[in-house]
Amino acid sequence: MNKHHLYLRFFCIQVVLSFFFISPVVAKPLSVDEIVQRSNQAVYYQGKSGRAQISMVITDNQGRERKRRMTVLRRDAADSDEVAGLAYLGDQKFYVYLHRPADVSKMTFLIWKHLRKNDSRWVYLPALDLVKRIAASDKRTSFVGSDFFYEDISGRNLQEDNFTLEETTDKLYVIKGVPKDPGSVEFSYYRLYIHRQSFIPITIEYFDKNDRKYRIAKALKQENISGFPTVTKASMENLLTGSKTVMRYRKVEYNINLDDQLFSERYLRKPPKKYLR
Amino acid sequence: MGSDENRLIHYSVDKPGRVTAAMLVSTVLAIMLAVLPSIWPATFSMLNPLAVDTDPENMLSSEEPVRVFHQQMKQAFSLSDMVVVGVINDVHPEGVFNPQTLAQVFELTEFAKTLVWPDPKPIPGQPESLKGVIEVDMIAPSLLDSIEQAGLGSVKFDWLMPEPPATQEQALSIRDKAQKIPLLNGTLVSDDGKAIAIYLPLSDKHYSYQVKEALEEKITSWGSDHNNQFHITGLPVAEATFGIEMFYQMAISAPLAMLLIFLLLWFFFKKLSIVISPMIVAMVSSLTTMGVFIATGNTIHIMSSMIPIFIMPIAVLDSVHILSEFFDEYQKTRDRKSTLIKVMGHLFKPMLFTTLTTMAGFASLYFTPIPPVQVFGLFVALGVFLAWFWTITFIPAFIMFIPEKKLENFGYVSGDGSAENSLLSRVLKKTGRFSFQQRKLIILGTLVMLVVAVMGIKKININDNPTKWFEESHPIRVADRVLNEKFAGTYLTYLALESNAVAVSLDNYATGLMRKVIAEQKISGNGEAAQLAAINKKIVNAITQKVKVNVTQNELILFLDSYIEMQIEEAESADMDVWEQVQAVIDAEKQKVELFKDPEILNYIEGLQEYLKTISVVGKSNSLVDIVKTVYRELHLGNIEDFRIPDNRNAVAQTLISYQNSHRPHDLWHFVTPDYRKANIMLQLSSGDNQDMLIVEQAVKEYFENNPPPVELSYRWFGLTYINSVWQEKMVAGMANALAGSFIVVFIMMSFLFRSMLWGLLSMIPLTMSLGFIYGVIGLIGKDYDMPVAVLSALSLGLAIDYAIHFLSRSRQFYALHGNWPDTLNAVFAEPARAITRNAIIVGVGFLPLLAAPLVPYQTVGVLIASILISAGIASLLMLPALITMLQKYLWVSSK
Repeated sequence: MNKHHLYLRFFCIQVVLSFFFISPVVAKPLSVDEIVQRSNQAVYYQGKSGRAQISMVITDNQGRERKRRMTVLRRDAADSDEVAGLAYLGDQKFYVYLHRPADVSKMTFLIWKHLRKNDSRWVYLPALDLVKRIAASDKRTSFVGSDFFYEDISGRNLQEDNFTLEETTDKLYVIKGVPKDPGSVEFSYYRLYIHRQSFIPITIEYFDKNDRKYRIAKALKQENISGFPTVTKASMENLLTGSKTVMRYRKVEYNINLDDQLFSERYLRKPPKKYLR
Repeated sequence: MGSDENRLIHYSVDKPGRVTAAMLVSTVLAIMLAVLPSIWPATFSMLNPLAVDTDPENMLSSEEPVRVFHQQMKQAFSLSDMVVVGVINDVHPEGVFNPQTLAQVFELTEFAKTLVWPDPKPIPGQPESLKGVIEVDMIAPSLLDSIEQAGLGSVKFDWLMPEPPATQEQALSIRDKAQKIPLLNGTLVSDDGKAIAIYLPLSDKHYSYQVKEALEEKITSWGSDHNNQFHITGLPVAEATFGIEMFYQMAISAPLAMLLIFLLLWFFFKKLSIVISPMIVAMVSSLTTMGVFIATGNTIHIMSSMIPIFIMPIAVLDSVHILSEFFDEYQKTRDRKSTLIKVMGHLFKPMLFTTLTTMAGFASLYFTPIPPVQVFGLFVALGVFLAWFWTITFIPAFIMFIPEKKLENFGYVSGDGSAENSLLSRVLKKTGRFSFQQRKLIILGTLVMLVVAVMGIKKININDNPTKWFEESHPIRVADRVLNEKFAGTYLTYLALESNAVAVSLDNYATGLMRKVIAEQKISGNGEAAQLAAINKKIVNAITQKVKVNVTQNELILFLDSYIEMQIEEAESADMDVWEQVQAVIDAEKQKVELFKDPEILNYIEGLQEYLKTISVVGKSNSLVDIVKTVYRELHLGNIEDFRIPDNRNAVAQTLISYQNSHRPHDLWHFVTPDYRKANIMLQLSSGDNQDMLIVEQAVKEYFENNPPPVELSYRWFGLTYINSVWQEKMVAGMANALAGSFIVVFIMMSFLFRSMLWGLLSMIPLTMSLGFIYGVIGLIGKDYDMPVAVLSALSLGLAIDYAIHFLSRSRQFYALHGNWPDTLNAVFAEPARAITRNAIIVGVGFLPLLAAPLVPYQTVGVLIASILISAGIASLLMLPALITMLQKYLWVSSK
């Protein structure tokens, strides 16, 4: 499938979607906080729980590919999807099961994302028969060797940045995020291009301390699944290494009643087969 | 020949204006050809501009297999040439590990990140890219991860130095963490904890000088109010610095040598207006040669930068013979024209032959396998030819321009005895007598010298190291010494390991593969029979298609992998599970050839690395194994007993994927390719000497012979240190052949000139002796036989034969006149001997200013040219007469 074709498809989806979302009432302009909260909800908090199978292709600057496939399960602490009053916002738990490559198959990760304290993270290495807790002082490290960071998978805490709305176009909000603690991250700011209807960030660009753009995240494909606008293909490109990771989401499901028990150390060793098919 | 030479000489004497005009026009033309496109490249795009290249890699042709392999491996492992910045603090009790020093290290690291420039050759349509320091591959405390225990079964991946430490305690903890990581200890941090090294990989090594300059400026801006020493080194820096300083040398040393030669000429011939002429010939020959050199699209390399320096003495050499003889003869007739015709008549033949032999000596370099040496040889030969041509035409023409009035007091006035009474003449006369009377002593002395020479030659050490092209006191040498003392070594060389694919017929392999897929389907019981059949049919079709075009096993697997990926993309959800299962089988198959996840292979590499430690020049080696062992240890409790390679493949893979959950997952690919089929061991050598590289090579070869790897594994070296050793070896062998070849050619030419093998042999003696003498001395004093020395062999061949030709041909001319040897000897020790002596002094001493150059190759050239000329002069003036005296009977009879 060539790039052009993809863009075309993406564009068509955009057009179709825009019909659904055109509102007859002219709403009053949203504040920047409302926009980022809505965006955060749209990407990380839709439904009370969810699952997706992710196929990952990591391509380096020489075109050499590495592939991974994993299933991600998510469960939110909050019951609501409501952005108003930040009812949706709460702690979350993620369970990641690696299917392939074969030699890391059955590796599992557990992430407890906390809003008010450091996350907790565990990994299970079946070949070493070892569950290891990972002191996650820094969430901006590679996720399974890809160009995505842990934080890109679980979502960055909005409390850590200050946002300003730079521009509003026909389709997009352009928002700049600046970290409150610049020493804690490798970027000096990032710019989000958020779709006005779906609130999905179409592009996120990261800039380093010398104001060079060095990292780009893109939503490449969006589908409506069980009424939720869902990114089903996304990429992350590291301009410094020339490496790029494309993630394809399949078997996406929402509100699947995942038991909180699943997200415990015990289940790292005993993956819940029925959710992983 | 006789009439041709007469015509040429008469023409020069009769039409001096035309000769001069022709010379000027041709020189200006050659200069313009080179200068115009260099200054206005756009206007003169059809011409070749000046191009400079100081990269020793180019001593080998770019198609040379070792270089092709080097480039391939550099790409495969994303390796770059590096600038190394060493930071040392000898004053603080904890060395560099104190807040003040680490703050500077941090600041310098941040600064180095900014050392990028827009790509001078942007690719159209691509976003602008920046070249220079490659930030993501930089090695510095603030940019690396530390993997460590975080208490209660927790492991922590964190920046080693996220910010400069505030307290002494924090500073020490950075040291302890770094020293616990084998990849960093001895590489980033010195064993004694007194020093840190920052490594700055470059997108292209040509940025090294810019980077070095910028770093130095930054360091200077801190003033001297701290106890930190900064040293900047690395092979690219040495090479670039050499290139820059080379041009200073071309601009300072060469003119300085010319000036000294000029003053000596003035001293000997006393007439300013006359001694200018050899200078003009030397200038014209050098400039024309360099003009043609550039215009024909050649690059100025370390070798070719020396072309003018080689042409100059040779150009002056012939002129000195003419002037010397003219000086001695002129007053006899006081007629320029007749004196010139007489002098040129004497000298034409010997000068032609000295020129031809010199040209043969240099042209022989064309047969070495080193491209820069080839062009060097050809162009020096061209310069020598030009020098000869303008010497025999322009020098007489020039003398004709000088009014006779001005020559009134030029030269030895006949009859006043000055010719016989000058110090030079008296010494030479005695020398002549001495060689006649003490011939046995001289022969004995010659034999003794020969023995000493052979002893010395046996001790010759063939070695080179671009860092040693600088003087001991040069900052680059100092940095080299200091850093190699503190760290495991700044010279990097790499051993590439690759699995040799085992050949199984593709058909059998494909059949086996299908069988595995079906077996797996049976076990799992997934899918309906019809559904499975349809899917399996698709797979078989895909396989058959590929097998037809005869791909490798690996290619087939990779193809199937993408094919299945595509099927999954488009499959109905019912089929998806079946496809995923097929993918699992293919996946497992793919990983079978991932050799460097196999503990058995990793153990073998570990053994090899242990062995490497026993070689003294190897400071340290780094490989995938070190990563695996370190991460495995920290995944457990960080204890020494877990510092090992895990027992199975999956454990290795899971350890590595844990390592990649870091800030720098790409670091792994410097040691192994993502397909795990190629790996490399990086060796840090404390010396860049080719000899040391050869020792390591030999040792590894023995290891592989004595300890065959568990599977077919090929190994091959790459890296700059290795490449330097390869061209060095090639050059020495090539030079030896070229020298032997031209030795024979010169002998044949001599036998032809004298129409006698015996005379030919005789003429080879001074040359053989001076070569033997020089190499003997080089061997005895322990000077390495390096690139400049090797190239100077050709020069010695060309120069040393000159004096013999002059001496012998003049002897024969005089013998024809006098009919007996003693009288002939007296005559030869007058003008001809004076010409030879003046020559040796002028040119030999003239090159001594090169000794003041800060670049060792230039010093070597200075010393060797002087020694060659002096030893050849002495050999010609002592050994030849002694031998002729001994062999009179045979010599004079055989020459009719």
